[in-house]
Amino acid sequence: MEIKELLYSLSQRDCIGNITEAADFAFDVLSQYADTKKYDTLNVIGEIRGKSDYTIMLDAHIDQVGFVVTNIDEQGFLTVATVGGIDLRALPSKTVTVHGKQKITAVFCATPPHLAKGEVEYDDISKIKLDTALGEKAKEIVSIGDYVTFSDKCFDLCGNKVCGRSFDDRAAVACLLELAKRLSGKELPVNVVFALSAGEELGLRGAKTATFTVNPNEAIALDVDFGDSPDVSPTDSSPLGDGGIITYSPILDKNINKKLEKIAKDSNIRYSTYVAGGRTSTNADIIGLSREGVKTSVLSIPLRNMHSSVEILDSDDLEAICDLLEQYVLKGGVFDA
Amino acid sequence: MLDMLKQLCLIDGISGDEATVRNFIISQIKSFCEYKVDNLGNIICFKKGEKTPKRKIMLDAHTDEVGLIISSITESGYLKFKTVGGIDTAALLLRRVLINGKVNGVIGGKPFHLLDADSRKKLPKKDDLYIDIGAKNRQEAEQLVSLGDSAVIISDFEILGDCVKSKALDDRIGCLVLIKLLKEYNNYDFYVTFTVQEEVGLRGAKTAAFAVKPDFAIALDSTTAADIAETPKESSVCVQGKGVAVSFMDNATMYDKNLYNAALNSGILCQPKSAVAGGNNAGSIHLSGEGVRTIALSAPCRYIHTANSIVNIKDIESMYELTKYMLDNIANENIK
Repeated sequence: MEIKELLYSLSQRDCIGNITEAADFAFDVLSQYADTKKYDTLNVIGEIRGKSDYTIMLDAHIDQVGFVVTNIDEQGFLTVATVGGIDLRALPSKTVTVHGKQKITAVFCATPPHLAKGEVEYDDISKIKLDTALGEKAKEIVSIGDYVTFSDKCFDLCGNKVCGRSFDDRAAVACLLELAKRLSGKELPVNVVFALSAGEELGLRGAKTATFTVNPNEAIALDVDFGDSPDVSPTDSSPLGDGGIITYSPILDKNINKKLEKIAKDSNIRYSTYVAGGRTSTNADIIGLSREGVKTSVLSIPLRNMHSSVEILDSDDLEAICDLLEQYVLKGGVFDA
Repeated sequence: MLDMLKQLCLIDGISGDEATVRNFIISQIKSFCEYKVDNLGNIICFKKGEKTPKRKIMLDAHTDEVGLIISSITESGYLKFKTVGGIDTAALLLRRVLINGKVNGVIGGKPFHLLDADSRKKLPKKDDLYIDIGAKNRQEAEQLVSLGDSAVIISDFEILGDCVKSKALDDRIGCLVLIKLLKEYNNYDFYVTFTVQEEVGLRGAKTAAFAVKPDFAIALDSTTAADIAETPKESSVCVQGKGVAVSFMDNATMYDKNLYNAALNSGILCQPKSAVAGGNNAGSIHLSGEGVRTIALSAPCRYIHTANSIVNIKDIESMYELTKYMLDNIANENIK
């Protein structure tokens, strides 16, 4: 499977709360290349053993943003709460999938034109009801606590750019699955563990237990970061198509970054850099604090429209990240640094 | 019936760019009536019935839908656009669009994380929106898109319970009902107009009505159904599943009261449109020539002018039945 096909397959499957379609798919793919287990925390962890006891953990989170049903009224309108950060302004008239007894499509209510007076404030998700169009029958299919996800399909844009939902962080998951394929059967100087961790959007939860389980010597969290777009300042973003983003921060390990940069330069692999002043809002923030501490860094994929149903990235950047990490693992990470 | 509605809704045809819708409709009706296409692109049809009534009756539906028109291309390859017809910014932000039926794009937005507390609550200005087709720069974008190109927000046609959910239900439902009548109704002669540019000022209906010169007209359209959560009952305008909405007055027309009463007393499932709001082609038609006695029958439509409008199938059937009833009873002069 090409990396873009992997991404599309992962994107169209959902993973939120007890919905584990994407994790199940990733488990099946990863199992072909690595010794893979599912954990109760919904983490999927796969290992390819190398020649030493030194372990590099590569992390990508498998969960996605979405919603959870908190109330169902007599007319079949649902009240929902957000799971992770979502732009409420873009919800009215948007379709989503409700994961009830069966999957159904529902539409967020939009203010009727004749009642739209002045500026509407979008600050309370409980006021933006979800219309199932099922009336009182909604209760037969939907229960409180059911999850709701965006339903947009993937599609191609110009060049190698692609668009879809949950690219945060399925794009990174796709990179790890591709990387596992490339590394499987090769003689590795170190162990490499692929951690597909749950619950990132709710506070880096799965990565905490995954790192404890794996007990790695070093780790790289793969996540997305803000891509360039007209309404984002260049200092807050990185261009799509320039490769992965190597992130510098006081909490991240500089040796990992320097090695990544050296490999990229030596092998002519595109990359860009970004400097954070502290925590990175990725799993790296929690991975580094596991047990007695783990040398950790972040490699990011530039992404536009983050946390929307129409996230955009350049598939060339995914290839560049795979090329870089493949070399990095084959060279043993910072084992001898 | 729903198969054809799906075909009609999934054709892209914003105001001024209705040719594909027009060609599809012609392919459906050409063996059932005489027709011509006028200078603006309206289809004007005459169906010969078993009897010729003294009164000339015109039935109208519009072929266009709301959408976007590309107005400039930035140096960085993003497209600026204007809305064609009324579309709320909340229905535009972070949506997938299709330009000229072939180029994919997305109406982009600043990531939620980077918005300050105040901007998180408020929609951006429409003028600040842009379409991202993934082009590297203006040159790459210009190879795919030209100024004046049409775009629509795309979505799937789906059945939700007893309802359909789609873009362009306004007014492809009217088109569907009229195609069906041209195929099935034979009692009396009647005229049908499939008109252009309703969403930009009821324009096609003006010239179509001039060409037909009817005595009576029935405009078939959609109207907002605000029978939704967080909206007071008295503001609902009409309620889904209670039949087609019959207008007594809107922002464009004072309707013929005899026709209004006859419709409500027909015994066919229908409801009054309980608000003075919106407007439709009746606004042009009733002022044509020396004046035309006009009624509007509208499908109650939730989230009208968005890509995910919802209409109850029962209300589409009601529109068909009531239009047929009115046609009979205007032609046989039961309605005074």
